[in-house]
Parts: sequence; structure tokens; C-alpha cells
Amino acid sequence: MGSVLAAASPSPASAAAGGSPGVPGLGSVPPGFAMPSVSSVPAASDQQTADADAPLLNPGTYEECHRKCKEVFPQQMEGVRLVVNKGLSNHFQVSHTVTLSTLGDSGYRFGSTYVGTKQTGPAESFPVMVGDMDNTGSLNAQIIHQLTSAVRSKIAIQTQQHKFVNWQCDLEWRGENFTSAVTLGNPDVLVGSGIVVGHYLQSITPALALGGELVYHKRPGEEGAVTSLLGRYTGDNFIATLTLGGAGGHATYYHKATDQLQVGVEFEANTRMQETTASFGYQLDVPKANLLFKGTVDSNWVVGATLEKKLLPLPLTLALGAFLNHRKNKFQCGFGVTIG
Amino acid sequence: MPEIQELSPDAGPVSTRPPEDEIDDDEDEDLDETMMERLWGLTEMFPDTVRTAAEVSAQCSVSLAKQFYSFSRAALWVGTTSFMILVLPVVFETERLQLEQQQLQQQRQILLGPNTGMSGGMPGMMPPAPGKM
Repeated sequence: MGSVLAAASPSPASAAAGGSPGVPGLGSVPPGFAMPSVSSVPAASDQQTADADAPLLNPGTYEECHRKCKEVFPQQMEGVRLVVNKGLSNHFQVSHTVTLSTLGDSGYRFGSTYVGTKQTGPAESFPVMVGDMDNTGSLNAQIIHQLTSAVRSKIAIQTQQHKFVNWQCDLEWRGENFTSAVTLGNPDVLVGSGIVVGHYLQSITPALALGGELVYHKRPGEEGAVTSLLGRYTGDNFIATLTLGGAGGHATYYHKATDQLQVGVEFEANTRMQETTASFGYQLDVPKANLLFKGTVDSNWVVGATLEKKLLPLPLTLALGAFLNHRKNKFQCGFGVTIG
Repeated sequence: MPEIQELSPDAGPVSTRPPEDEIDDDEDEDLDETMMERLWGLTEMFPDTVRTAAEVSAQCSVSLAKQFYSFSRAALWVGTTSFMILVLPVVFETERLQLEQQQLQQQRQILLGPNTGMSGGMPGMMPPAPGKM
């Protein structure tokens, strides 16, 4: 009796425990549980409900394919940044950012996030409205809404003081084993210009996903299109992605060596600027020391690192960053404190 | 009998030295030649090929030494700064973590130490159950 129960329990338990990325067909995943996708999870992004019995899962979105490797690399920091995050309720969150910079402008930025009441998954609710405004009056705003169970739309606006710089509308359709998206960027009916981007990503096998992108831009007097193809292979503890297109090629490799160490290698070739760059990045996560360290070495003789440390018991996070360009002999460092 | 000519005191200086000293005489009088030139002159005894080979190898080794010196300077700088940025913070933090853990362990030992010392010192008290069995 005991052995029968023991044999029956592991399958939903292991599925509920979150399985491993890229291993589909775990059997009975109870509906309402989102299978954690391969890429990382900011609040309003791309977790999907896996179809329990299909051998092929939804491959995620086109933009996400390179993201897992990109996140291993540190961001260049300059100047001082103070961020105060405050959650006012379950649905509303506010952030104040003060940036003091030696190279650019110093300023204050106010941001707010509203998460709606329509819950589609354990970590997702829609609509999501994110906006932030600068002290000069520049606004960035995004509205993301799940129109039906498979269609998600996003509208984003960016202004520079009072002038509209970017306005785009995005529609994404997630099928059983494919994702397609159409983005309309800066459409201007009066002038007759705009950019249309179409993405398509299909799961071929549980580990392999292939896709393509078509960018069509039109201005009064000229129009053009750029296409590119994408292939992504997911292994046990690695993800390899390759993008080849008219604008060049981009290959990334992400490897999870141990629980603490993640490694990423990126190779980028740009046909317009006729240059290639290879970079190596690593992320070291030591939760016992509340430490997150990211380092990178580049083929342009650039060495950089970022260190984030949680100063418990206060809800403070200290971030230190340093980037050194050996070839040009330029050094940039910065630090930031995040409260909340 | 040969006649020995007697010179009058007004005759002036007469060279009375034997002929083989003339060569030394010329060398000693020629003070324009420096020590380096005399040493350099010694090299002229080697054939041309040997001289050019030695010259080329000397120049090569000097330029190689200069290049190696400047390369090692640059490499040392690049290595040190890259190590400082990429590795040093992690080393500091892991060392700190280790020290903290050691401290905690020491504190625990101080708390529980005497107890373990006592039980170690009195082995007879410890295994009564197996003895009873």
C-alpha cells in the first residue's frame, strides 16, 4: 500500500515543484500551474500555461531567446543612483529614482506600476500599466493586456519632454507550439511612414525552436525590409541561440555550470559597421553571503564587473559597478542603493 | 780602425734608437686614438660574416629585450587591473563569509565545548545501554 502511494505521488509533486526547463511532457501538470519557462520572469512577462498532453510546448517569445544569456552580463554603471521602491497595495507599486551622473544629466524619475485584477496565472495578472516620468517631463508608458487566453497586446509610448519619440502597438498570439507577434512602430498616417515588425517562433522538437523576423520600414521616398532567422536549442543545462539576418549575425550560449555559477558567451557580427565582438560573461550567486556578482571580458579589451549585496536586516541593496576599457584607457565606475 | 766620430755638442738631437723601436714609438705618439677605437680595431681580425652576424644578433636581442620589457609592463598592468575588477570582490566576500562561519563555529564550540569535553573525559558513563544489553 505504501509503495503504491509512493509511486503515484512523485509525478504531480515534481511537476508542481517546478520541474526543469526544457523538459516537456512531465505528464500530468494540473491546469492552473504555469510551467516555468526557460527565461527569467519579470512581473508581467512571459509565463505560459503548458498544454499538458502536447509533446511540444510554446517556445516563448522571439525577443526572449537571447535574454537568458544577456542577463548574465553586467550593466555598465556610472554615477550614483538611489532607488526607493514602495508597494502601496497588491496592485500598485511606486518607485522614486534619483540619479547623479558625471557624464550625463542628473535627475529624478518617478515610476509607477499598476497590476490589474484579471488573473491568468499564479504570477501574472492583467492589465499591467507601467509608467515613469522624468523631472524634465519625459514620459515612458506601457500598457499590457491579455485580450483573450492566447492573445496579448501591448501599447508603448515614449516622449522626450513634450515630443513623442516612440509610439508602438504590439499584438502577440501564443499558439500550442508556436508564437507569432506583429508590432507596428511609429505609424504616421499623415507623413506616410512607419515600421512593421513580424515575428514567428515555432517549436520543432522539445529542444529546438526555429523562427523568423521580418522588419519593413517605410518613409516618404524610401522603403525597405530586413529579414532574419533564429534558431534556439535547449539542452539540459544550456541554451544555444543563433540569429542570422541581413543586419548581421548574433550567437549566444548560456550554460548553467553549478547552482551558483552561470556562464554566457556571446558573439556578434555587424555587417553595417563591419565589426565583430565576442564577449564572455559570468554570474556568481552566493545567497549565503547575499551576494550577486557579474563579470565580463570582451574582445574590445573591456573588462567589467557588477557586485550587488543585500545589506540585511535592512531592505537595502548596494550595487557597485566598474568598467575598464584597456584599449582606450577609460574607466567608469558607479554605485547605487536600492531601498525596498 | 774605424774612426769614432766625435760629435760636437751643437749637432742637435740625433736619433740613436734601434730600428725596431720605431714601431712602438709611432704607437705611443698617436694619442688621438681612444681606448674604444683600439678595442674596435681588434674586431677587425674576424671575418666579415662573423662581424655582421654578431651585429645583427646584438641588435635583435636589444630590440627584443626592449619589446619584452614594454610588453611585460603592459601585461602586468592589464592583468592586475582585470584581476582587481573581476576576481577580488568575490574573494573578499567569500573570505568574509568563511571568517563569519568560523566565528560562529567557535562561538558554538565555546557554548557546547565544555560539555563535549566532559563526555569525552568520562567514557565509562557513555555507553551504559550496550553494556546492559
